[in-house]
Order: sequence, then structure tokens, then C-alpha cells
Amino acid sequence: MPKEQAEFEAGMQAHVERGEKGVKTSWDEVNLPMVRHWVQAMDDNNPVYTDAEFAAGTRHGGLVAPPTMLQAWTMKGVKDQAPGSSTTDPMADVFDALTEAGYPAVVATNCEQTYLRYVKPGEKLHHTYRLESISGEKKTGLGIGYFITQLMEYFTEDEEKVAEMRFTILRYKPAQREPKRPPRARPGMTRDTEFFWQGLHEDNKLLIQRCLSCGQLRHPPAPMCPHCQSLQHDTVEASGKATLYSHVTMHHPPLPAFEYPNTIALVELEEGTRLLAGLIDIDRDELEIGMPLQLEIVRCDDELSVPMFRRAS
Amino acid sequence: MSATSSGNGFANQAAIVGIGATEFSKASGRSELQLAAECVIDALTDAGIDPAEVDGISTFKSDNNPESEVHRIIGGRNLKFFSRVDYGGGAACAVVMQAAMAIATGVCEVVVVYRAFNERSQYRYGTGESHKTASHNYDGATRAWGGVHGLVSPASNVAMSATRYMYEYGASSEDFGRYCVLARKYAANNPKAWFYQKPITLEDHQTSRWIVEPLRLLDCCQESDGGVALVITSAERARKLRQTPALIRAASQGSCDDQHMMTSYYRENIAHLPEMKLVADQLWEMSGLQPGDMQYATIYDHFSPYVFQQLEALGYCGLGQARDFIREGQLELDGSLPTNTHGGQLGEAYIHGVNGIAEAVRQIRGSSCNQVKKVENAVVTAGTGVPTSGLILGQI
Amino acid sequence: MSKQEFSNIYFDQVAVGDTLPQLEIEITPTLIVSTAIASRDYQDVHHDRVRAQELGSPDIFMNILTSNGLVGRYVTDWAGPEAILVSVNIRLGAPNYPGDTMVMSAEVTAKREEQGRYLVDLAVAGKNKLGVHVSGTVIVDLPNSAA
Repeated sequence: MPKEQAEFEAGMQAHVERGEKGVKTSWDEVNLPMVRHWVQAMDDNNPVYTDAEFAAGTRHGGLVAPPTMLQAWTMKGVKDQAPGSSTTDPMADVFDALTEAGYPAVVATNCEQTYLRYVKPGEKLHHTYRLESISGEKKTGLGIGYFITQLMEYFTEDEEKVAEMRFTILRYKPAQREPKRPPRARPGMTRDTEFFWQGLHEDNKLLIQRCLSCGQLRHPPAPMCPHCQSLQHDTVEASGKATLYSHVTMHHPPLPAFEYPNTIALVELEEGTRLLAGLIDIDRDELEIGMPLQLEIVRCDDELSVPMFRRAS
Repeated sequence: MSATSSGNGFANQAAIVGIGATEFSKASGRSELQLAAECVIDALTDAGIDPAEVDGISTFKSDNNPESEVHRIIGGRNLKFFSRVDYGGGAACAVVMQAAMAIATGVCEVVVVYRAFNERSQYRYGTGESHKTASHNYDGATRAWGGVHGLVSPASNVAMSATRYMYEYGASSEDFGRYCVLARKYAANNPKAWFYQKPITLEDHQTSRWIVEPLRLLDCCQESDGGVALVITSAERARKLRQTPALIRAASQGSCDDQHMMTSYYRENIAHLPEMKLVADQLWEMSGLQPGDMQYATIYDHFSPYVFQQLEALGYCGLGQARDFIREGQLELDGSLPTNTHGGQLGEAYIHGVNGIAEAVRQIRGSSCNQVKKVENAVVTAGTGVPTSGLILGQI
Repeated sequence: MSKQEFSNIYFDQVAVGDTLPQLEIEITPTLIVSTAIASRDYQDVHHDRVRAQELGSPDIFMNILTSNGLVGRYVTDWAGPEAILVSVNIRLGAPNYPGDTMVMSAEVTAKREEQGRYLVDLAVAGKNKLGVHVSGTVIVDLPNSAA
């Protein structure tokens, strides 16, 4: 791990260990109008939230607020945090440091709520929050980043703890995603050439046409052998060993199916025939005519596989 | 030189007696058929021949204007010969060969050749459009070899050969650039050229963007709208017409050595043009002339590296030596082979090589903007990388 | 609304491996917006389609508090008004966009008596056409009929 990153991680861990807390209060006590709005929006018909008479006859002993509504009471709302909330966010410097270190993107991943008891209309809540843990650097589908868990503890006005919540977010470096590309153009085929494409796609084989009469290998395929005029032919599977014979690097026209610059090779197969092919993981500055290459058949989509080559090890 | 068996039956029998053209632009603003009709009438007027006399037409397979329709709207009466030649710009000299053979054999008397298109404003060969849908025929199956990898443009097809040419003979992008600078110098002095008064420097060339490495933007011909026509009749009649005739001393076609359309990648050496060598051998034999007998050349320049390989195929220098030939200034007006004095397809316009034939005619007439002192004979080539053709024109 | 409409599930009626009836929830713009506002979450991506699209989403999408609330509702719809939610732990996945349908399902994974409470663990999932929107574990305290 680079020194800078080690220092950055240590700084975040120190923050966790300091356990500095913030507080957020609520504008209003737990109240029936907000509850009613919530249960209607959620289509939650549980009568213990809105039917006082019913609720009184249950284990709840009276109206309660939906427990999953916990966060709503202390949310910031359209404008300002309720009075009494921390004016500076104790975690701001951690988030700033993450942005600066190249992890600007955020996504919530987990929410764990534990209810010590249901809260009732008339109770006024506030919650504390602090950084509970920061993971090491993780590779995720979205990109490399850190999982950050905050612990929120919810209290009534007389400091009775009623619930806690762990809320985990991923702060990440967005992975350089391949833009979604349309599929490559379908190859035109005739009865003379379809075996080549079928061999690649269905059998994962690079096939070379062979004259059954004189044994000459030929590519591109043709119905007749130019050497002996035989119409009889079969195929042999290429070993996959090849050398670079020539190459070009396409810049224009930019077709949406390809990434540019797009280097295309003319390779000479070990068997002696040549073939146009794509290249994998070879920088165009490293291209050297004659360099040894190894076949890799690449499945482009459900219909098409193409021959590509990488540097032979 | 291996003996070639081309007859000389039509050598010196016919001549180009009229040349005509529209303006060269990026957007003609009119139909391709109108461009064809305009340039044909221009050429007939130049020749002093009545449109009603046109009884033969020879054009490119890739031209969108039907011979019978062009003949009908120019006021033709009896069309007795109509012929088309395939392989894109490779047809350029072959259409003249068809005309000369038709006249020499007495099939017809006045043949018009035309090539007219809106290749810039309506469709562009450089966009790779034709690769978007799969045609399950020979052409589609052949395009597929490169198409699935994105090798879709004429420039990319030529670039594959150019990379190997550079590897085999040590030619550089700067070497290619020297030709491009020269073509633009000629164009800068040709009022009909798109790049009139717009010369470039070698530095401009070297800093122009990549199209397909190793080809830069300034290595590539233009994409143009326009039309060019030629009028061909018998040498006998040519003598009586108003213009100095350009006698067709020789014409030939060539396809050989594991030839493919734009992708002859499977022959032993892809850094030379054996089909152009086959064309040249026939030209020299048919005309009884030699490379040194030419005072002017139109060398088909769709992409600069093929100018080099053509000079070698024609016999002006050995394989890989064209870069020295060009650096020495041999293609300049005071060099041994002034070439593409109209500005070529890089500088004047891309009309599939027919504008280059017209320039060779002007050089023989003595009417070029960049006139060579005295042109007895001129060699003209057609598109390369494809089955191709060539011409030798001369004074009667 | 009469009390008789609400029945309760009792602890001794539940066995590990039981599955809850599925619940299909149509994801409408109204659901997304009204639940976001009810949870006092005014982030623009939950009510402003233009802004959501500027930020790279195809449309507005459901906020987390609502996903959490729907998981709780799904469990208490089944368990009845006597049930007490002890914890709701969720993991978030594919977004809920308008026009989709979230299908919720759950399975009883454990049950136990703990300090006089009768606890049932449920593995809950809500899937939409993009994949799993939400998955997690809910612990619910059920009345015991024997008590």
C-alpha cells in the first residue's frame, strides 16, 4: 500500500477511535398527522398506528408510531435541521478526505434498525450519530472504495434510548465502465465461409480450410482449390500460435461497436495462412512485426465470436 | 520481364478528343444524373462533337447513372455499345480501354466515358457505412474478414499494406508526406482544385490527425462531389477535330497473384502491387515505349503510400526506392517524371481517377495550369489495391 | 374499520421454513413521491425526474426509508397488529423505478423464546425486474397463543 494511502486510512481510523458524536433533534414530537400521512403513502393498514381504540386493546396499549418511520422524525426536511442539532458535522472532515483521496461517489448499502420499544405520539426524539467503523479498501462492482458505517442512537427527551440504527454507505472511485456498445456488425456469410464463423462461435475453434486433394491450406476459404481445382475440402483446427505480419490502428471512422484507437492485426498462423484479427492487451507502442502471438477466441455476443490474439507468453 | 501476350490491335487506333467536368465541391446541390449530363455535354462541346453522334458509353460499375439514361437525356440517338468495369477506381483507365477497343473494332464511333457522383454530400466511402449490414453474398462474406474487427474503410485497407511497406523498406510517414506536399503545391496553382491556393508544409502533414495509422488525414484523398467526362473517337477522325488529340497508345488491365478487392493480404509480399506491374508490363509492350519515354504521369493517389508502390511497379525505381525518387524531386515540373500536376485526388478532387486522365490530356495539349514543357507521352494509372488498369497517351 | 378484520399469527403457528404469501407492490410515481415526502426525504432524485436523469438515472427512484418501511409493513401485514418489530436489517440493491413491480417474499428462518419474548426471524426479499431491490432479516416478536 502506498504511504499516502496508509496515512489516509490511519487518519480515518483515528476518527473512528475518537468517537466524536453529533446530535440531531426533531422539529415536532411524534404525532398522528405525520403517522397518518406515512401509513397512507405506504398503504399500511395496521390499526395500531391510527385507531386509538383498537390500539388500546393490543399489546401496544395505545397508539404507536410505525417503528420503521424512525428516521423521519429527525430528518432535516426541506430547509433546516431542527434547533439544538449540531451545527457542524463531526464527520465532514472524513467525507472531505474521501472526496479528496478520489472516492467521491456514494451509495447506501445497508440499514439496520433495532427497536428497543415503539415510540408513541407526544414523545420528542433526538439522535446522536458517530462514525462506528470504516472498512479497508474494498473492490466492489461499482468501483474501489470504503464501507463507512454510522451508528445513530435514538432517545426520548428524558434520554431513554428507544432505537438504534447502523447505516452503511460505500464511498467509491467509480469504476471506468465500458460504455455500452452496440453489437459488432454481423459477418456476411456464404456457403463457402459459414464454417469459419460457426467454428469460432459454436465449437470455439479457429478453422482453416484444407484441400482434400492436394492438402493445401487456404484462407480466406473458397469453393475451389486454386492449386489443383478440387472442390473437395475439409478443415483443420489452427494451433493458435501466430506471428504479427502487419497492423493498422483505426481512429476514423469511429464505429460505435468499437473502442478507439482500435488496432487490427494481420497475423500469420503457424500453419502458414494469414488472418485479420483483433488484439488483446497489447499497447500499440509495443507492436513489433514478427512478435509471437497466441489466439484467444472472444465471444462478442450471443451470435458472434471473433479471433483475437494476445502476446504469446 | 516475362513475356505478356496482350495484342496491340487497338494501340494508336483511338484518341481522347474531348474532356469536360463540373466544378469540384463538397456539396454539388444537384443530382448525380445532372452532374453526369453536364460533364458529358462539356466534354462533347470541348471536342466539337454533336451529342447525337454519341453511340458508345463506357463507365464504372460503381457509377449510379445508367448509360441509357445519360445517353437519352443528352440527346443521343443510337447507343450501340455500353460497358461497365468493376473494382471502384481500378476501372478508371479500363473504361478508356473499353472505348478504344470498341472503336478499333468498329463497334461504334464516338464513345463517352463519365464518372459523376455526390460522393461527399450523399454518401462517403470513408465512413464504413457499407459494413453495417451483412450481405450474404461474396462481397458481404469478404468484407466480414475485417469488418468484424472494425477494419471497414478504404484507408484501413491500404494502411495494412503501408505498415508492411514501411517495415520492409524503411519508408516513413514523412516520406509519404513529401508526396502530399507536392500534390498540394500543384493544386494550389489549379483554380479548379478544391485546395486551390491552399498549399501545405511537411509539418502540416506530420501534425495532421491520424485516420488509420500509419495514414494521416493529409495522406488521404478528398471526398468530392463532381463529374468528369471524356470523349473518345478514332485517331483518324481525331486529326480533324479542334483539339490536339491524346492518342491512346496503350491500355491494359491487371489482376493477379492472389488478388482480392482492397485486401490482397494473403499473397507472399503485401508491400508491392503485382497487378500494377502486370498493367505496366502490358503498357510498355503494347506501346513499344519505356518508362523513360514518359514526360508526364498521373499516378492514382487515393492514399499516398500507393503512389510509392505504383512508381516501383511502373519501373521508375526498385522496390522500396520510391521515397528516394520523390525526395530527389523527380515528380516536380523540372524532374524526370512530373506527376499529378492537377493536384491529384489529394489536391484537386476525388473523381475516381477520371480527373487525372483529363489532366494527362491537358498535358499533351499543352493546356495544364502546371504545364510540363513538352509532353510526347504520358502514363496514367487507375485505383490500386484492387484489380486495376493503366493507359499511355501520346501525341498523334 | 372493525377489529375483527385483523387476525394475528401466533408464535406456535409458525414453523421454520414457512413462507409468507407474496405481496406485489406496483411502483408508481405517486408511491415514490408520497412515501419520500412522508419520510421527510426531499432529495430531488426521489421526486424530480429531470434532475434524476441529469444525474444519470432513467427516472426518479424509491428512497431507502420507504424500502425499509415496506419491509416492515410486509411483515406486520402477515403477522397482524399484535406483532412487534424488533429489528429490520436490510441490504439495498437494484433501484425501484416507476413502472416496475416489486414482489416481496419471505421465509421463516428461525424461532426462539428469549427473555420472555417469542421471536421469529424472517428472511425477506423484494425483487423487481432489475433484480433484488432489497433483502434482509426482520426479527418480529409474536404473541404466543399458549401464554
